[in-house]
Amino acid sequence: MPITETAEKYDQSIKEKALIIKGLVKIYKGSSDSALSGLDISVNYGEIFGLLGPNGAGKTTAISIMSTLLRPTSGSVTICGIDAVKQPNRIKKLIGLVPQDIALYANLTVRENLRYFGRICGLKGQVLKDRIADCLEMVGLEKRADQLIFTFSGGMKRRANLAAGILHQPRILFLDEPTVGIDAQSRNMILEKLSLLKETGTTMIYTTHYMDEAEQLCDCVAIIDEGHIIAEGSPKQLISRAPGHAGLKDLFLALTGKRLRD
Amino acid sequence: MYKTGATIIKELLLVLRDRAGMLVLFLMPALLVLVITLVQENVMKTMGEKSTRILLVDQEQQSIGQTVEKRLLESGLVEIVKKVNEKEAIKAVIDGDFQLCIIIPKGITRSVKAKARQVVMKSLSMDDTSTGKKIQRRDIAVYFDPTVLGGFRSALLNSLKLVIVGIEIDEKMKVLAELLPEHINMTIRKKMGSFVPDNLIKDIPGIKLDFNSDPLMKVKENPASRDAFDKTPTSVQQNVPAWALFGIFFIVVPMAGGLIKERHDQTLLRLLTMPVSYITLITGKVIAYVFVCLIQFTLILLIGKFLLPLLGSPMLEMGSDPIAVIIIAISAILAATGYGILLGTVARTYEQASMFGPISIVIAAALGGIMVPVYAMPKIMQEISVFSPLSWGLDAFLDIFVRGGNITTVLREVFLLLSFFIITMLISWVYFFRRS
Repeated sequence: MPITETAEKYDQSIKEKALIIKGLVKIYKGSSDSALSGLDISVNYGEIFGLLGPNGAGKTTAISIMSTLLRPTSGSVTICGIDAVKQPNRIKKLIGLVPQDIALYANLTVRENLRYFGRICGLKGQVLKDRIADCLEMVGLEKRADQLIFTFSGGMKRRANLAAGILHQPRILFLDEPTVGIDAQSRNMILEKLSLLKETGTTMIYTTHYMDEAEQLCDCVAIIDEGHIIAEGSPKQLISRAPGHAGLKDLFLALTGKRLRD
Repeated sequence: MYKTGATIIKELLLVLRDRAGMLVLFLMPALLVLVITLVQENVMKTMGEKSTRILLVDQEQQSIGQTVEKRLLESGLVEIVKKVNEKEAIKAVIDGDFQLCIIIPKGITRSVKAKARQVVMKSLSMDDTSTGKKIQRRDIAVYFDPTVLGGFRSALLNSLKLVIVGIEIDEKMKVLAELLPEHINMTIRKKMGSFVPDNLIKDIPGIKLDFNSDPLMKVKENPASRDAFDKTPTSVQQNVPAWALFGIFFIVVPMAGGLIKERHDQTLLRLLTMPVSYITLITGKVIAYVFVCLIQFTLILLIGKFLLPLLGSPMLEMGSDPIAVIIIAISAILAATGYGILLGTVARTYEQASMFGPISIVIAAALGGIMVPVYAMPKIMQEISVFSPLSWGLDAFLDIFVRGGNITTVLREVFLLLSFFIITMLISWVYFFRRS
């Protein structure tokens, strides 16, 4: 096959994928161990990709590099055809992040928070107002819009946190354990809303410790440990590949072991 | 600009809703200015800026006591309250009702007059039966309240010594005026004997020696200001700009706290994944705090201008160059915000920032002459004080408020404050990206 044809096919495959990670390595300054050692991930548009792993496996490091917060030691990250390492400013217009903590100003109302983050993303006027109204409705906080965040329950805070992440309609949304520490009702609602978001074409990279969530929500999951992928595929595929395991949780423990991770 | 504006609005909302921060930013400096100015106003009164009430016990009621009283009153330093009983007067001082009492003992007038005569006769080599006699000296006693400060104590003692020297000269001159013609007469007779006609000796004129009527020279106090601006430094002129600066620099606490909180609760993390630069975020923050501090500074000036006079203090005089005042204020605020950003970037926890921030500001304030004027510090501290941004700010304000300066006078201080802002911002910038 001629070289030009190969290159064209490669370019085409890059454009067809929402996210392509190749040989990603991250070694933190002063550390001899690598947090990520040759991570390879490929995510299609509109897919929910679950990144599973025990504490310290490298999930947050991977999300931080993908969302332009960290520079990798080596390897490449391509988002919607754009090199995220070389052109982080272009990438920032395409992505959204729902961090593990409630990344909102506690002394502002949820509407004020959304208005601020919306303006930072460049939304203005009626478009901004409409997006705020849509997001509030989506997370069920329209009646609490003018209430200060610090007065919210854990579940309400998590929902507000999600609203701030999707306000500017990102093409790829990174969710770092978005349902941690909340009741079953709020968790269920968040999962439902993420499914709705998927229908609109939003690609999502999702990290969680709740295997049932990943099983229910994700099109594809990657189990990572010590900085590299140890299993990848759809939840059904993974379970079927390892008979004798009741579900993803069993498989996860079988692959990563029962040793405590600190 | 749109994103900077959004950050300014967000920061202002956060400041308005942070009650503890509002107390630190507005109530604390306002109270400090009020309390310290009023307290120091009273200290300055007792330090000699205004007359102090003292006790005088004149046990003989003759010329010395009357002269001491008259001349002390003329000095304007004191207001005299007379008492008869020495023990009662000393008790009043011990009880702290008066800062001091002066006791004029019985027989002092006679003793001073006799001693003056003895000294003059001795100097003229005149025979006097009393010359060889020991005349008992009577001393004026002064009782001080132990809490009276050294400066005021020396000022009063020196005034009293001057009064006494004046009385001594008067008495000696009176005796000299009386004895000199007699001395000349005796000397001529001794040298010329019967050759001197009686009417010649009778014609020797008497001498009138009145030295106090018209002083040959005086000390005139003039303000060392740059133009005709003639303001006596008061506690208001020193304290209002000093504590306003102190309040301005206290913004480092809410400012650094806000930055650390943003870092810890991951709002900064979220912002860094959005299409906005770190410079835009920090610029918005700095502009918001400059705005807040300008309100704070205006409030403090208004207290000095309108509230303090109602409480008996002099009114704050702000010189003749309001543009210079605004430029100094903005430069000082920028220096403070730079320090706040640096502290918020370097400190790992809110506890670190809330401990180190106020302590470092109190030290910088002490070094900068906010609490004690720089000239009153030991030499080594004076040399260190030139490194305090609060010292630059205060010096610039005093140049305008007290020394009658203008914008050109304070260019050096403005340059130093702005340099401090730029350096702290650069260090924060480098530190932030190295850590990120």
